[in-house]
Amino acid sequence: MMHKPTVLGVRPSALIDLYRWRLKDHKVQELFAGMGIATGVALLFGVLVANTSIISSASDLVHAVTGSARMALVARSSDGIDERLATRVGHLPGVRVASPVLREDAAIVGPKGRQLIQLLGVTASLVALDTVATKNLGAGTSLLTGGVGLSSSVAATIGADTGASVELLASGDSRRALVRAVLPEQIVGPVAGSPIVLALLPVAQKLTGRTRRVTQVLVEPRPGQDARVERELRELAGGRLDVVPADRELALLSQASRPTSQSTTLFAAISAMVGFLLALNAMLLTVPERRRFVAELRTQGFGPSQVLLILGSQAAILGIVASLVGVAAGSVLSHTLFREIPSYLTFAFPIGSHQVVHATTVLLAAGCGVLAALLAALPPTFDMNPRRPVDAVLHEQGEAGHGIGKGSIVGLGTIGLTLLAAVTIVVYAVPSLTIVGGVLLALAAVCLIPGVFALTGSVIGPVSERLRGSMLALAVVELRATATRSVALASVAALAVYGSVAIQGARHDLTTGLNAAITQYLGTADVWVSTGENVFTTDRFFARDSVEKIARTRGVASVRVYQGGLLDVGTRRLWIRARPARDSAMIQSSQMIEGNLARATRLLRGGGWAVVSDGFADEHDLRVGSRFALPTPSGPTQLGVAAVTTNVGWPAGAITLLRGDFRRAWQTDDPAALEINLRAGVTPEQGVRAVKAALGSRPGLAVQTRRQREAQFKANAKQALRGLGQISTLLVLVAALSVAFALSAAIWQRRDRLASLKSQGFDSRQLWRSLLLESGIVLGIGCADGAVFGLYGHMLASRWLKLATGFPAPFSLDLAQVLSTLLLVGGIALTVVAIPGLSAARVSPRASFEE
Amino acid sequence: MSALELRDVVKHYPSGAEVVNAVDGVSLTISAGEFVALYGPSGSGKTTLLLLSAGLLAPDAGSIRFDGREISSLNATESAAYRLRDVGFVFQTFHLIAGASALDNAAIKLLGHGLSLREARRRAQPWLERVGLGARAEHTPDRLSMGERQRVAIARALVNEPRLLLADEPTGNLDSRRSRQTLELLRDICHERQTPGLLVTHDPQASQLVDRVHTLRDGRLRDGLDPDLATTSAG
Repeated sequence: MMHKPTVLGVRPSALIDLYRWRLKDHKVQELFAGMGIATGVALLFGVLVANTSIISSASDLVHAVTGSARMALVARSSDGIDERLATRVGHLPGVRVASPVLREDAAIVGPKGRQLIQLLGVTASLVALDTVATKNLGAGTSLLTGGVGLSSSVAATIGADTGASVELLASGDSRRALVRAVLPEQIVGPVAGSPIVLALLPVAQKLTGRTRRVTQVLVEPRPGQDARVERELRELAGGRLDVVPADRELALLSQASRPTSQSTTLFAAISAMVGFLLALNAMLLTVPERRRFVAELRTQGFGPSQVLLILGSQAAILGIVASLVGVAAGSVLSHTLFREIPSYLTFAFPIGSHQVVHATTVLLAAGCGVLAALLAALPPTFDMNPRRPVDAVLHEQGEAGHGIGKGSIVGLGTIGLTLLAAVTIVVYAVPSLTIVGGVLLALAAVCLIPGVFALTGSVIGPVSERLRGSMLALAVVELRATATRSVALASVAALAVYGSVAIQGARHDLTTGLNAAITQYLGTADVWVSTGENVFTTDRFFARDSVEKIARTRGVASVRVYQGGLLDVGTRRLWIRARPARDSAMIQSSQMIEGNLARATRLLRGGGWAVVSDGFADEHDLRVGSRFALPTPSGPTQLGVAAVTTNVGWPAGAITLLRGDFRRAWQTDDPAALEINLRAGVTPEQGVRAVKAALGSRPGLAVQTRRQREAQFKANAKQALRGLGQISTLLVLVAALSVAFALSAAIWQRRDRLASLKSQGFDSRQLWRSLLLESGIVLGIGCADGAVFGLYGHMLASRWLKLATGFPAPFSLDLAQVLSTLLLVGGIALTVVAIPGLSAARVSPRASFEE
Repeated sequence: MSALELRDVVKHYPSGAEVVNAVDGVSLTISAGEFVALYGPSGSGKTTLLLLSAGLLAPDAGSIRFDGREISSLNATESAAYRLRDVGFVFQTFHLIAGASALDNAAIKLLGHGLSLREARRRAQPWLERVGLGARAEHTPDRLSMGERQRVAIARALVNEPRLLLADEPTGNLDSRRSRQTLELLRDICHERQTPGLLVTHDPQASQLVDRVHTLRDGRLRDGLDPDLATTSAG
């Protein structure tokens, strides 16, 4: 006879049968537990995917374009370098392939709309690098001959198809281009989902007005020749160009997106904790019944390891199924709510909109779900103490084990306070550890809940004992009876409120700080002329005779050329702002961190000095008065530090210098903007009309009043922070609903006792009041604990924004936001609980009888 | 003096296409201080009779009077007030709150009377002492034996000083010794307080401890304990 395989003497099929029977008997409990786990996994997965997608999709895109290239010779300005340099690179003995590329930020206009894109001018040599972007473009990249190829996402956005004529706005000029192909994923891989337009190099040069110029040369050295090629490239660069890894763009993006990434990581951790608590809650509801199940199994002769196996397998099955549902739900979330990419990043990096899901992300989220189920399934195993009779629990009744001992309260409270102190010390000493501190602070908030619960009980208890005709006393008695569950529920509310208050508070501070920065930055002119979309004003345009024309316009008092651009230094893509000396303010006073405003302004106007953001200053150990060499297109330029500011809203940091210094170092007169002041009595709108008339037909240029530009800038900042707000609101909603459902389920399970109270003469309204009071106390404890820790978290987060990321974020209390979060959690939860609560309170008293 | 009087009480339940005569023309009077046991096989209508007496069910016909007042015509609010003030209930499953002390469990009913918990506790303490749990008032149910839990439930039923005591299988979860103690306690309380008491039970010991025994079979009431029930129960 063949023996079937067993685990610890139990057949796997028997484990499944046992779970099937359990499911049959406890559908609602299992469904509820599964929902709790799935909710946590969905939040965690959605946030993780959103978090990794920016870098992952950019990585796919960069590698699709660079192929086997390992290094690149890169120009430090959009003006680029002579394309003949690429030929010289190609002739270097250690180089296998050298492929010139022209990258230009532009806008494209089609029948259905416009989009900011990056125009990529390439040659057939790129095919030799085996790049996904070009290898299927036909022999000699014939698909692009005589026109441009639109990635399918760009084509869909602007509504242009093959054969259509589109308008390309670059360097302030407008040119028409023929769409030669719409490029789907099968042809260009990840480029299809990116804001990329491909063209052959000569076409791209013509469309951008950059004749015979390229911005980088991608290089694949021959095997073993990397060091030699790098040396030779540096010689060619002569200190005026960068020699960098081919995929340096990723390091730059990673640095720029770090604050977004870190704040979403905090949310991911909080989501994981909320998920675990939801699962724990759901499992706690089934503890009495599962304890009896364990006792029955042991009475029948099952050994402790077999009982563990059975409980573990049941938790694992539940965890796996719920986690898969959670991953699916999280995927929907990541495709809908968390899809938006912060627009400020898209001005500096071409980022695809496609979502990238790694197997590790799925495993991490699902693993957390299964772990939560397994941990939450542990309490019934505590009965397997060898000193306890195996059937002891069968002689218990109700929900024994739901109380929390004094030892546990004191122990957890001590851990909570220790964590709080440790976080305070560590975060004040090392601000960059604030995100880790934020997670530990959440843990501290949870650890202190039993203490807050006991404290609330000791305050409300004596009050409730004196009140006549109130159901508060009954509510307090019930709460004490189900302390573990109530604490777990309060913890969910606390975590959600904590996360929301901390993040929304920091978001509020950041918005306030950014708005102040924007207002001052744009406050130097009544009317701005720029390429429009790019709020950082880093795209330069060909001015031609527009300055003179505008200066002669009636109503215009003065015109000044503002210059700027992006400059890659190390892993930072810096925002360079070159202000004319006649600007009323050279520095945004609200952003000053170090230095004297008047002195710094005077130094800046004199030339040879710069104002640097503190992240950059720290990285290069710069203080006011220090000197440093900025790598510019004309070679290293020596500048003194006149002052240190915040990052003025660009995560990688900014450098402000005199326009004259910029012109010499960048060797260009092209403005990034024209600042126009109007004569007294001329309204901004009249000024805009007059300037437009003076410019004539320049569709590539936008003429905006200061207020219009400010509104555009602020809308951009708001969009960038919207994602955080959405995640925070979703967390609060999910937590409120989950707490409400958990409370409802707990109330529903208590119907037999409610029935007995009714048979003793209590009426439905009295019981309903008691249930609402009980729910209100649980929520109140959780919300209050979460709000206090959330405010502290907000304070730490604002400090982190200022010190670790360099963002302007002056701390201010946003009580309206705190109140709205509390009302949202409390309101939703109590409203949802009220319905099943009423229904449970109306249970027939006859239900307490057994015939 | 209080008395419970049932006259020609009828209660039918539809069961599929048939009608079950749960209580079929029952007349029963329980005088003040009298402790009466009602036996019957499962489904005989015992609990229905108890529910009718508590005002939790309305009869299809007949009259139920307590202390001269018609119970069967009370609306839901009046019926709740009747149970709250006049009736003491003891259940087979004790319905105690697990984390609350014995004293709080005993006191809980008085909160419905509009008393504060402090007052309720003060009133419940003598009753806990009366059932022999004065020293264990602060113990939670998980630290009490089954018999002690039942005594807490009895104290809770008595805490409002009821004028009618109704008990539904109060010894169903107890061993023989504790059952006897519980039944003696209920009887003594009925006698001392001159409270009529109706006990629904299967417990054979009850027949020796109560003042009167009836058997309900197919909804009909007979005097005394049916021999087959006595045998089954005893055996």
